[in-house]
Amino acid sequence: MAKVAEEWLNICGGCEISILDLGETLLDLLPSLEFVHMPVLMDHKYFGQTGEKTELEIPEADVGLISGGIRNEKEKHVAEEMRKKCKTLVALGSCACFGGIPALANMYPKEELLETVYRDSKTTESNGIPSQDLPALTDKVYAVDEVVKVDVHLPGCPMNPATILEALTCLLEGKPFELPERSVCDDCPTKREEKSDVALKRPLQDAEFVPGEYDKMRCLNEQGILCLGPVTRSGCGKPYLEGEENVPRCIKGYMPCRGCFGPIRKGANPQVEMMSALSSIGLDAKLIEDRRAFLNRYIGGQNRLRPLPPKVRR
Amino acid sequence: MSDEFEPKIIAFCCNWCSYTGADLAGVSRLQYPPNVRIIRVMCSGMVHPNLVINALTKGADGVIMCGCHPGDCHYIDGNMRAQSRAEAIELMLEDFGLEDERYRLEWVSASEGPKFAQVMQEVVDRVKELGPSPYA
Repeated sequence: MAKVAEEWLNICGGCEISILDLGETLLDLLPSLEFVHMPVLMDHKYFGQTGEKTELEIPEADVGLISGGIRNEKEKHVAEEMRKKCKTLVALGSCACFGGIPALANMYPKEELLETVYRDSKTTESNGIPSQDLPALTDKVYAVDEVVKVDVHLPGCPMNPATILEALTCLLEGKPFELPERSVCDDCPTKREEKSDVALKRPLQDAEFVPGEYDKMRCLNEQGILCLGPVTRSGCGKPYLEGEENVPRCIKGYMPCRGCFGPIRKGANPQVEMMSALSSIGLDAKLIEDRRAFLNRYIGGQNRLRPLPPKVRR
Repeated sequence: MSDEFEPKIIAFCCNWCSYTGADLAGVSRLQYPPNVRIIRVMCSGMVHPNLVINALTKGADGVIMCGCHPGDCHYIDGNMRAQSRAEAIELMLEDFGLEDERYRLEWVSASEGPKFAQVMQEVVDRVKELGPSPYA
């Protein structure tokens, strides 16, 4: 029986729901798993059940799952403790792998964020920055692998149940697990003509499509709807239920890819590659609204997003 | 050893004009700062924006691209491609949080040894003022 510890850090909780999405398969898996620590399910305290201990403690486990990035000192501490106690550490979801949506905050210095939220907020009564009994914020949002070594990355917002199942099975059997280095476009059934003759559309405008017939829909980028498919790793559309097609998840809803699976391979430069992908079909990258945030929506950690330097003038 | 910041500058020079211009600066014994590392490429138009961004995010403090004057390109319109790429590179620098002056495109012909030396001096002076790249 494999011992599992799960921890959630800077996260919404969607990744835990995604584990539940395994459905009946989870029941088959459960006999071989023993959850020793999981704040979302179990009342297991860090400093002993009655608070009698002085140091944070997580029980030893074979597999450690961490969802969410790192925003404050407590989360950093928990991640370090997880690494110490778990033989294999898995980063669950885009926040743990790349920083995720919260890492968009890395575009601004920490002081500016605190000012905006606790002092300059127009809609709430501000009482200054709270300081008592709260862990201090880290200088920026970190992906888990910036703080401790991570053995397996499972990106996705949230992850695909089929991928979780495959990864867990591999871990239980002691095999390595790695997502294939393919782009969303490689798995996308839409029709490509390698050129675009329309202007960029706003994100809320609809695509043209025939319901259910993905192969008759024109590539969304060519329709002028910005799709991050060319620079995003594939795997979101992997069929889980019987009769499902292998179509990227957002495309299945006739929506453009938002890039939650992150870069196709380690060390890739999605920002630069997306610009060349757009110019190769004749779209003007200058017209993209909020370009930095758009190109880094889920991958702002790992130093990809940073505050802009003050303009230096001659 | 002085503690002054010595920037690393990568210079992409096209084989037909600018590299020969750099050669001329050398054989004419013109002085220019030793911070510049020259990389010879066949044409300024072949340098993908990725290479510029990679240079700047992996240790270089500035990049200068040298090509033939408009109309002189050995491959007819390679330098014009470099120019349209320069516009895209400026957007990318903004996205990466780098000052746009860390990248410069300059036309240097084979006979312009003094211009080459002068441009290198200007670039090094400017990058020294900007300080090290935030990625260094």
